[in-house]
Amino acid sequence: MEKNEFLLLLDELLELEPGTVKGSESLDSFAGWNSLGIISFMALVDEHFSVNLQPKQIAGCATIDDLVKLLGDQISGKIHTGSAPGSVNGR
Amino acid sequence: MMNPLDLTGKTILVTGASSGIGRETARLISQLGAHVVLVGRNEESLAETLRSLDGEGHSAEPFDLSSTDEIPRWLKRISATSGPLHGLVHSAGMHKLRPLRVLNSQTAEDIMRINVVAAICLAKGFLQKGVCASSGSVVFLSSVAGLTGQAGVAAYAASKGAIVALTKALAVELAGEHIRVNCVAPGVVTTEMGEGLLGMLTPEQSAALEAMHLLGLGSARDVSYAIAFLLAETARWITGAVLVVDGGYTAH
Repeated sequence: MEKNEFLLLLDELLELEPGTVKGSESLDSFAGWNSLGIISFMALVDEHFSVNLQPKQIAGCATIDDLVKLLGDQISGKIHTGSAPGSVNGR
Repeated sequence: MMNPLDLTGKTILVTGASSGIGRETARLISQLGAHVVLVGRNEESLAETLRSLDGEGHSAEPFDLSSTDEIPRWLKRISATSGPLHGLVHSAGMHKLRPLRVLNSQTAEDIMRINVVAAICLAKGFLQKGVCASSGSVVFLSSVAGLTGQAGVAAYAASKGAIVALTKALAVELAGEHIRVNCVAPGVVTTEMGEGLLGMLTPEQSAALEAMHLLGLGSARDVSYAIAFLLAETARWITGAVLVVDGGYTAH
């Protein structure tokens, strides 16, 4: 999946206008990033990538780009800035 | 010594027998003397369940219950080999944690198909001449999620609430056919399905969920005891009932 497509899914998840999420934002800056939002994100990843993330992997993420990195090569056009916290495929 | 749970000579079909509550129910009722027809999608896991049963005369019937229209004909074929069925347990089920914002209609339909439509078609198949013995007991699996609100599981909860309604409707419709219809509503048990749910929660959320179960989280065996009770003579005057087996989850 293209990163832009993934960001649009996050817009929807966080109840934002399409195109709002860019990647560098802090997760804490989104009102929708609460416990149900986090579970929703895990469900979204399961639905679209058949990947079961663990809560502790997500707890290690500070920004939207950290979430993108969790999905490794499943997201194309991602930003490569070091290893992701608890990346699902170890990259 | 008399055992009111004795199922000697009874043939009972169990769906979802390749894991979890279905597998444990198959094991327990085999220990109580029943001949068990195991149903599941995974042949290897089904064979593993088969090897773990007590006694003889059991069989494994791999089948994908999402082919709901095929169920009645398929049951007819099975009973031609196994002989008339005295009981049916629909333990196969699908659980997905999907908050509403992420839930799509396909997932909702998939959940309803396995959890509810397959239950309807199994009951329809069970009713056919030659499939059900002179009397029978049907046990469906509901859930505490079908009785009380839980966030993130709307489709699953709807399916399990539907099972309660289905149980009562069929209990009335099938009483004249000497078929009892009941369901069990478990809390969270430590099966693959239960652990999948817990795996999506933070340690704090898991601890809170566990604390809601006053007697701790359950095991598949805890639920299978209730299913065996509903299958056996012990429940001969019980139909249309929802037997809650939840370690106290719904008590508060």
